[in-house]
Amino acid sequence: MAYYLGLVQLIGIHTLLGLSAYILMLTGQLSLGQAGFFAIGAYSAGILTVIFQLPILPALFIGALIAAFFAFLVGFPALRVKGLMLVVATIAFSEFVRLFFFNLSWRVPRGDIVVGPDSTNGFREIRYFVANGWSAWEITAFVWVFVVLVMALLWWSDRSRTGSVLRAVGEDELAAQSVGVNLTAVKVAAMTAGGFIAGIGGGLYAHTATYVDHLTFTVLLATFAIAYPILGGLSSVFGTLVAVIFIQGVLVEGLRFLGDWRNIVFGLMIIAAMNLKPSGLFDAPTARILKRAIGLDERGKTGA
Amino acid sequence: MGDFWFEFVDITQIVGDGLLFGATYALIGIGFSLIFGAMGKLNMTYAAASLAGAYVGLAAFTFVDAPALAVFLVSALASGLIGFVVYVACFRFIPINNHLAALMASVGALFFVDEIIIHTTDGSPLTFPAMFDYVMLELGPYGVRGDLLFVFAVCIISTVGLLYVLYRSRLGLATRAVSQQDVAARLCGIDVHRTNAVTFVLAGLLGGIAGAMTAAAVGVLSPLITIPLTVKGLIVTVIGGLGSIPGAIAAGLLVGGLENVFLYFRGVNERDMYVLLLLFVFLVFRPHGIFGSAINRD
Amino acid sequence: MLELRGLSKHFGGVKALDGLDLTVDEGEIFGLIGPNGSGKSTTINVICGVYGQTAGTVRFRGELMDGQPPHRRLRAGIARTFQNIRLFPNLTVWQNLWVAQNSHQDIARQGFLPRWLGTTRQTRKEIAGLLELADLGHKGDDLAANLAFGEQRRLEFARAAAARPKLLLLDEPAAGMSRVEIDDLSRRIRRVRESGVTVLLVEHVMELVMGVTERIAVLNFGNRIAFGTPSEVQHNQAVQEAYLGSSSPEPRPAGRKS
Repeated sequence: MAYYLGLVQLIGIHTLLGLSAYILMLTGQLSLGQAGFFAIGAYSAGILTVIFQLPILPALFIGALIAAFFAFLVGFPALRVKGLMLVVATIAFSEFVRLFFFNLSWRVPRGDIVVGPDSTNGFREIRYFVANGWSAWEITAFVWVFVVLVMALLWWSDRSRTGSVLRAVGEDELAAQSVGVNLTAVKVAAMTAGGFIAGIGGGLYAHTATYVDHLTFTVLLATFAIAYPILGGLSSVFGTLVAVIFIQGVLVEGLRFLGDWRNIVFGLMIIAAMNLKPSGLFDAPTARILKRAIGLDERGKTGA
Repeated sequence: MGDFWFEFVDITQIVGDGLLFGATYALIGIGFSLIFGAMGKLNMTYAAASLAGAYVGLAAFTFVDAPALAVFLVSALASGLIGFVVYVACFRFIPINNHLAALMASVGALFFVDEIIIHTTDGSPLTFPAMFDYVMLELGPYGVRGDLLFVFAVCIISTVGLLYVLYRSRLGLATRAVSQQDVAARLCGIDVHRTNAVTFVLAGLLGGIAGAMTAAAVGVLSPLITIPLTVKGLIVTVIGGLGSIPGAIAAGLLVGGLENVFLYFRGVNERDMYVLLLLFVFLVFRPHGIFGSAINRD
Repeated sequence: MLELRGLSKHFGGVKALDGLDLTVDEGEIFGLIGPNGSGKSTTINVICGVYGQTAGTVRFRGELMDGQPPHRRLRAGIARTFQNIRLFPNLTVWQNLWVAQNSHQDIARQGFLPRWLGTTRQTRKEIAGLLELADLGHKGDDLAANLAFGEQRRLEFARAAAARPKLLLLDEPAAGMSRVEIDDLSRRIRRVRESGVTVLLVEHVMELVMGVTERIAVLNFGNRIAFGTPSEVQHNQAVQEAYLGSSSPEPRPAGRKS
C-alpha cells in the first residue's frame, strides 16, 4: 500500500512540475529549465525545515518564493531570446542550478548528527514528515491539496481573461502587442508563476523523498516537465494531469518488468510519439473529442 | 617581479592548453551549427552520437587492436552512421515547420543513445588509450603537450576539409543553397531530404572525430560526459551565433581557453558553472553571438 | 493629432522611409497611398512602435512617442489592423475582443482582479455591442480560425475598436474584398469616424480611398510625392508617373514588402 501511495504522491508532484511548464507554454515559451526551479524549491524547503527547523508550510511557501524569484530573474534575459535559443538558455540555467547544488555544502550539527546539503553526497535527513509522525495517507493528502489548489487556480485563470491573454501572446506576439498587451509583463509573470509552481513541487518532492542530490535534477527531469503538457495538449490543465498519470502511472509502472531497459524504451517511445503525432498525443481535435466524451466541453463559454 | 613572471607563464600556459583542447568544442559546435544552418533545427542527439562514435572506435581498438588512425576513422564513420539514423528517426518525417516535435524527438534519441552506452558498458568509465607516447615540446618557458597539439591539428584539418566540401564541391553548394532558401533550392531541383541527410552525416563524421579526440585527450570515456558535452556544444553554438561556422570555431576556442582558467582558479567541480555563466553573459549582452547576424531567429 | 517629422527608417542599406513629413488632423479620414514598396506599411509599423525609427519624430496629440513600446502607444490611443489579418486563431471571437480591452479607461474602471480573473457586466455588454456592430453577434463562441475571410476582417476591425482608439490605422483593409464588401467597409470606416475616431487608411484599392478619404498623401521611395484632396491627387502628374513608372528616378527596390 505504502508503495502505491508513494506513486500517487509522485504523480501529484510531477503534475505540479508539468503545470509549471504548461503555463509557460501557453505564452509560447518552451523551457527546459523547470528542473532548475524544482531543484531550488527542493533544496530551499529542505534547508528551511532541516537547518532552520521551520514547519513545513512556511518552508514550502518560502522555498517556492525563492524559486519564483529566480524565475523572475531568468524571465528578463529570456525575453530577448525565442524558440530554440530559449531552450538552450533554459537548459544552461538548469545545469547551472544543478552544478550549484553539486558544489553546495552547508553542514550544521543538530543534536548528535550533522545535517544539511553535503555537495556530492547529496542532502539527506529531510525527515520533517517522519519526525512529526505523519502517516503515508496524510502525506499523500497533503501533496494533493497543493495539486488541487494549483490546478483549480490555473483552470480558473485559464477560463478568465488571463488565460486568453496568455494564449494570445503564445499565438501571435506582434498582434498581442498591437492590441495593447504588455509582452514583458505577461511573459515574465508566466515565468515567475511557473517558477513558483515548480518550487512547491520541488519542496514537496524533497520532503516525500527525504533525500535529494544533484542527479535528481537533470535534463531528463526537465524533459519530463515539458513532455507532460506536450503530450496532454494545451487545451486545459487536465491534459497535463492525464499525461502524468499515463507516463508515471501506466508507462513507468507498466514497464517495470523491463528493469534497466525501461529507459531505452522511453527514448524510443518519445521518438515514435513525435513522428506519429507531432503536435501532441492529445492535440486539439483529440482533446475536443475526449472532452465531449466526458461531457466537459468548455470551449465557447463566453463570460467566465 | 619574479613571482609575477611565473604567474604569467602559468596562466598563459593554461590558456594555451585550453585553446588546444577547445578545438574539440569547436568541432562539436560546428556540427550543431551545420545542422542548424541546414534545417533551422537543433539536433540534441549530436554530442551523444559523437561520444557513441568514440565508443565504437574504442571497441575497434580493444577487440581488433586497430592502429590510432583507424580508431579515429572508425569513430567518425560510426558517428556519421548514427547521424544518418538520427536524421531519419527524428527529422525526416516530422513536418518541417514543427521545431518542437523534432527537438523532442532528438531529446528522445539522446536518452536512447545514452542508455545504450550505459547498458553496454555497465555505466562505468572506460580508459581510452593514449594514442601516442607522452611528448612534451619545449618552447621557451612553455611546454606543449604533444597529444593536445595533435588534437588541435586534427581539428584544423577536419575543419579545413569540411570547409572545402562546403565551398568547393557540388554537394556543398546544394547544402548551402538549402540552408539559405530551401524552397528556392527545391524549385531548382535539389533534393532537400538527401541534402539534409548528407549534412547530418557530415556533421556526424566531424562529431566522431571530436568525440575520439576528447576521449584521447582526457584518457577516459564515460556516459557521465554526454550531457555536459551536449550542453557545452550548445553553449559554443549559441556564443558563436546559431548557424555560424566561424563563430563556432571562435567560441569553441574561447570556451576551451576560459574553461582551463576557471579550472586553475576554482577547481574542477565549479569549472562548468562558470562556463554556463559565460553563456548568460552573452545572452544578456550579445544574444546573437560573436558572429551572429541581428536577424531574429525562431 | 498625429505629426510625423522627418521620419526615416532604414533596413540595412534600404531606405524604406526617408524623411517623411505628415500631419493628420483630428476627426479626418486620411488616405496614404503609393506603389508597392513605397513605405506605407513601414509608416504604420513605426507609428505603432513595432519598429524604432532611424531618424525623425512621431508626435501623437502633442506627445512625443519615441521609444514607447507598442502597448503604451495603444493605451495612448493608437490602434491598428494588419495587412494580412493577424487574429488569435485558436481563441474564440469573444476572447479575441476580450484580450483587446486595454484602454486606460478599461484598466481603470474594471479593477485588477475582475479584469484578470473575472468579468464585469459592463465588459460583457461592451463586447456584445462590438460583436453586434461587426455583424458577428451569433459567432461569439466560434474560433477565429473558423471564420470566413470577410468575417475575419470585420473581427480584426472590431478588435482594434475594442481598445477605444483615438487614431485607427488601417493597413490595406480592402485587400481581397469584393465590391459589396468594400462598400460595407467604407460604411464602417465612416461610422467609426462619426464616433470621434481619426482614421489613417493605407490602401491600394482606389475606389475605397477615393470614396472615403478627405485628404490623401502619396508615398514613393519612402517620401511624400503628392498631397491633397482625392481629385487633386488623381490628376497629379508625379502620382501618375509613380504608378505608371514612366520616369522613376531610380529602379524600384525589389523583393521588399511595403
